[in-house]
Amino acid sequence: MTLVSIIALGLFAVWTGWRVFVVDSMVRASFSLMLSFLCTGGIALILHADYLGAATVFMMAVEMMVMAIFMVMFMMNPAGLNPMKMVHQERLSILMGALAFGVFVGAVLRSDLPDAPVAADRPATFDLGTELLGPSMLIFETAGVTLLAAMVAAVVLSSRTGRYGEADAGARPPGLTEGGDPAGRQPEEGGHHHHHH
Amino acid sequence: MSPLVLTLPVALLAGAWLAAWIDRLAPALWGGRAAGPLAPLRDGAALLARPNATTEAPDRLTRWLAPGTYLVLAAAGLSVVPLAPGVAAVDSPVGIVVWGACEALTVVAVFLHGWSPNSPFPLIGAYRYTAIGLPVMLPSMFVLIAAALPAESLSLIAVVEAQREVWNLVRQPIGLPLFLIVGLTLTLRGPFDFADGADIAGGTSAEESGPGRALWQLARLTMLTAFSAMAATAFLGGPLGPGLPAPMWLALKTVAVMLLTILACHALARTVPSRMLHLLWVAALPLSFLHLALAGWVAL
Repeated sequence: MTLVSIIALGLFAVWTGWRVFVVDSMVRASFSLMLSFLCTGGIALILHADYLGAATVFMMAVEMMVMAIFMVMFMMNPAGLNPMKMVHQERLSILMGALAFGVFVGAVLRSDLPDAPVAADRPATFDLGTELLGPSMLIFETAGVTLLAAMVAAVVLSSRTGRYGEADAGARPPGLTEGGDPAGRQPEEGGHHHHHH
Repeated sequence: MSPLVLTLPVALLAGAWLAAWIDRLAPALWGGRAAGPLAPLRDGAALLARPNATTEAPDRLTRWLAPGTYLVLAAAGLSVVPLAPGVAAVDSPVGIVVWGACEALTVVAVFLHGWSPNSPFPLIGAYRYTAIGLPVMLPSMFVLIAAALPAESLSLIAVVEAQREVWNLVRQPIGLPLFLIVGLTLTLRGPFDFADGADIAGGTSAEESGPGRALWQLARLTMLTAFSAMAATAFLGGPLGPGLPAPMWLALKTVAVMLLTILACHALARTVPSRMLHLLWVAALPLSFLHLALAGWVAL
């Protein structure tokens, strides 16, 4: 039963992962990828890695939601419902994909995987916590604080209001042709106030 | 998983009916007309009799998956709530994280509900909701972690056990108000109803009619039930209490939280999304940091 569920989830994960490149919208692609990750979370749950499984589901839901929004925002595909081509540089990608697959399969086949089952009463979460807050603490804390600083800096840089006023004050959109008039709505000329008689 | 899973549909449907009725009683507080207990059923039946509306080039699969997912998430969230000390339908050692995953996936379900009809108002609702829903996830996580601190466990059964002496509501007084924000967001209600607001013609539901709309409304009400049960477990000691049987205590506390949520929904006004976003990042997030620090200090 366990094996059947794991295989089913694995196959669904691969299928949804493949769908990412077949569907024609950024939103569909993002959530196909999310489904693929949710299957991985499900496999972790079946293997009794409860925290990892639930945390994977939680993190991937938030992450893919953010990704869908930003993809739609930056792609020339309003709302992500218009059909669009999801692949580019196909030949190189296929080559790289096949190469990466070969390397990983080779690594799996060649490495000596442990087959001693972990005792049921082994405090795995406790061991993980000891590892994170023991010998590897400096690495994790450094990475954590660096990421946090990067996030705060990104928010500060992208914020419209700031110490020196609105970020886009006096900004001109680029012209439609080189050296041409700025694109978008033109500000009304001069007349701040029209006199009515 | 145990046979107790069979209690979930019953609890969710009963909670949905009760919430729908209280929703129709609330206008009486402001001099409006209250409706009888059969009104929600009548309204539901009327919706089911109407045809589904169709839009141009919708995403049909997602359009049905979104309300279905919302409903399933409410059930999954409720499944980890202990019905009696030491007994839950699904005894997960990380129940609080499971509930957090349900919260995060709710944002996805609501977004897809607004995205799939291929129509402007639902899409605006979807984007507005996501902009508010994602920052709400952060205080939610801190509040839930704080609730788990006295138990030193992510299991909800342990969280209930840790409240035998004193409820988390007393130890962590700003936890429940912060969690109420999460509940209003998850159920698209009142000041946090940026998805289905009347100001954008019903938002993500603008194109819905008939059974599709009925399913969406049912899912919202079941999510309110699941949220109320979770809040009662995390802050009010869940099924603990003298005299009455344990599930009765859980039901009573769940209804109390439900009343509080519906009251907040009807009594508080909604502000514009940009101001709410500002409030969430600048007020709610630091407040939840402070809450977590205080809870940690008390737990030590």
